[in-house]
Amino acid sequence: MSEPKRWPGRVALVVAKKELLDLVRDWRTLVALVLVPLILLPLLFIALPLFLEGEIEELDSIQLNVVVQLSEEDDFPEALDTLLQGANISLLFEQLEPGQGNLSEPGGDEERLRLAVRDGSTHAILRLEETATNSTESWNYAILHDSTSELSREARGRLLDSIGEWEDEIMEVNLAEVGLTIDEATNPIRWDGDFTAADVSTAAESAGFVLSMLIPLLIAVWSASAAMQPSIDLTAGERERGTMESLLCTAATRMELLFGKWLAVAIVGAGAVLLQISIFLAAFSFLLPAGFFGIPELGAVSILSLVLAVILFATSVVAIELALAVRARSVKEAGTTLAPLLMAFIAPALFAQFVNLEGIELWWFAAPVFNVCLAMREALLGINDPVHIAIWASTSVMYAVLAVAWASKQFNREDLVESIN
Amino acid sequence: MGAPLLSVRGVSKSFGEVHALQEVSLEFTRGDVVGLVGSNGAGKTTLLRLLCGLYRPTVGEVVHHATDGSEHAVDSVRQNLGVVPESTGLYHRLTAWENIRYHSRLSGVSDSHAWNRTVRLARALDIEDALHRSTRGFSKGMRQKTALLRALAHDPDLLLLDEPTAGLDVTSARKVRGLVRMLQQEGRTVIYSTHHLAEAEQVCDRIIVIHNGTVRADGSPSSLMLDTGTDSLEEAYVALTLDASREVSDAETYGWFQRRWITLLSRFSTGERPEIEEVSEDE
Repeated sequence: MSEPKRWPGRVALVVAKKELLDLVRDWRTLVALVLVPLILLPLLFIALPLFLEGEIEELDSIQLNVVVQLSEEDDFPEALDTLLQGANISLLFEQLEPGQGNLSEPGGDEERLRLAVRDGSTHAILRLEETATNSTESWNYAILHDSTSELSREARGRLLDSIGEWEDEIMEVNLAEVGLTIDEATNPIRWDGDFTAADVSTAAESAGFVLSMLIPLLIAVWSASAAMQPSIDLTAGERERGTMESLLCTAATRMELLFGKWLAVAIVGAGAVLLQISIFLAAFSFLLPAGFFGIPELGAVSILSLVLAVILFATSVVAIELALAVRARSVKEAGTTLAPLLMAFIAPALFAQFVNLEGIELWWFAAPVFNVCLAMREALLGINDPVHIAIWASTSVMYAVLAVAWASKQFNREDLVESIN
Repeated sequence: MGAPLLSVRGVSKSFGEVHALQEVSLEFTRGDVVGLVGSNGAGKTTLLRLLCGLYRPTVGEVVHHATDGSEHAVDSVRQNLGVVPESTGLYHRLTAWENIRYHSRLSGVSDSHAWNRTVRLARALDIEDALHRSTRGFSKGMRQKTALLRALAHDPDLLLLDEPTAGLDVTSARKVRGLVRMLQQEGRTVIYSTHHLAEAEQVCDRIIVIHNGTVRADGSPSSLMLDTGTDSLEEAYVALTLDASREVSDAETYGWFQRRWITLLSRFSTGERPEIEEVSEDE
């Protein structure tokens, strides 16, 4: 019999190769790991903002009808009239009913406005009443609207914006009489020059900071979620389909089989996470102004720390998911077991984003999940504290070893040959 | 008598409170075709899983004898083992050849060697044309034959078959039996579990009757009939497996054999112990 050369890891590679072939032929894996991020992330970060922008433009182009209620003796201010015309608002004037408690009380207009909003004849009512003060001009006003109607809310918004501008014009006139500009009156203490120019951090450091707030969380969450489906398929799926028994009867040891499966899940998971992060960063940079988003400059130690943290974390996550999934006798049972596990990764990863790195207590670098998230944050920020690195690296290795040992124990279970079929 | 290949020494296997096998001792010699016969739940599959090392005995040991006389745990000699479990266990997203190649690679066999052997055996089983087809749409017979090819592609000395003809049509079952005879001629050892006594009689040199986790008889078909004073293997089987403490559910189990066994065994639900003479051909 001609036997290929035996070398350590050969069987694991055979297993990984077959599992990868099997996984890429599974449409569920492709949809979950490739199609969803390819569609969902651009949809969220590119299509949704474009859609919202289009919706806003569409709303702006709609002419809205507003009834202006004035006292008989008041004239409608010309400045406001000009501003409202610019805001694409059509005005209809009415006399303000006397004897109102205050202008905000709808009174008899309540039912009328509700019906008018529904049939589109009126979208809001602007009530104006000139008052006597020391100002050159002084008015009380209220806007009646229906908050459940989108167009009525839009009419209120446009009225508030126009009234705000009109108010500024009045203030400018009032202040000019005492020799002040509006800026002098409202901003006696001012920032001198360009706000952003005063930041001494480089573009690369800023990019590192922004990424340190995103990447650890995304890697932690996406690693856990991307490994889930293949972990289930390669363990509980095999048991359910009855393929596990014949596989365990082969010359391969259980450790070799486990390592091969681990490798396949790790490759699929890493590919999916890389794809998701690439799409996320591309979509994210699409939203920001050109040149805003730089590339962080990372030293060799930072890059090594980052890679090591990701590898150790992925080792633990994949081993834990394989161990849990292999205990289940069906895909459904495994899904039920693994779904809550995601929270065990998401919660600490989210928490770790808000931990203050200045004067941080050392134990944070020993806590599972926290430690790798903090390690990735420090690496992206260019912080290379040897004590921190020693703690998170040693504890992560320990967690990875424990996870693999547990997975190995589960993979040596006798009942692994049992299937629900 | 051939050289010893496998020894089962005082093996018991329990799953919690369930005693699947009790104090089983057997010797398997090279070149034997052995039939494991018993009802559902008798312990046949448990014994096969012990023989291939999937289960560890609760008590006792299962050892493999090398040609130099040394003894090894079965785990360490899987290279020489081909197994067809009851559920054929094919990957439906792979083709038949990809399934076979995967297991051959795990056994360290080169693709070319496995391919040559597979093609030769596939001709015997009449599925040569299906080797490059996905197994998703395979019939039960095709799956069973593919599983057999997969178990044989790495040229094992010992073949463990768990009900290889269950659910197969007559032609497919004949092909499988023909293959077993061919393997026997090649000097391989085949341990073959089945419900079908006629098939066991036809294919096996030696039959082991397992019942309620114990070995009730072990010998050639003719010696079993001689020992029980019966003139057919079926009657010998009934005589060997009569048990006053049998549960009512056994009646359903025995429905697998022939209608008369169902009639006979259903009487156990009344608590009466029927006599063997009550079995009649015309019932």
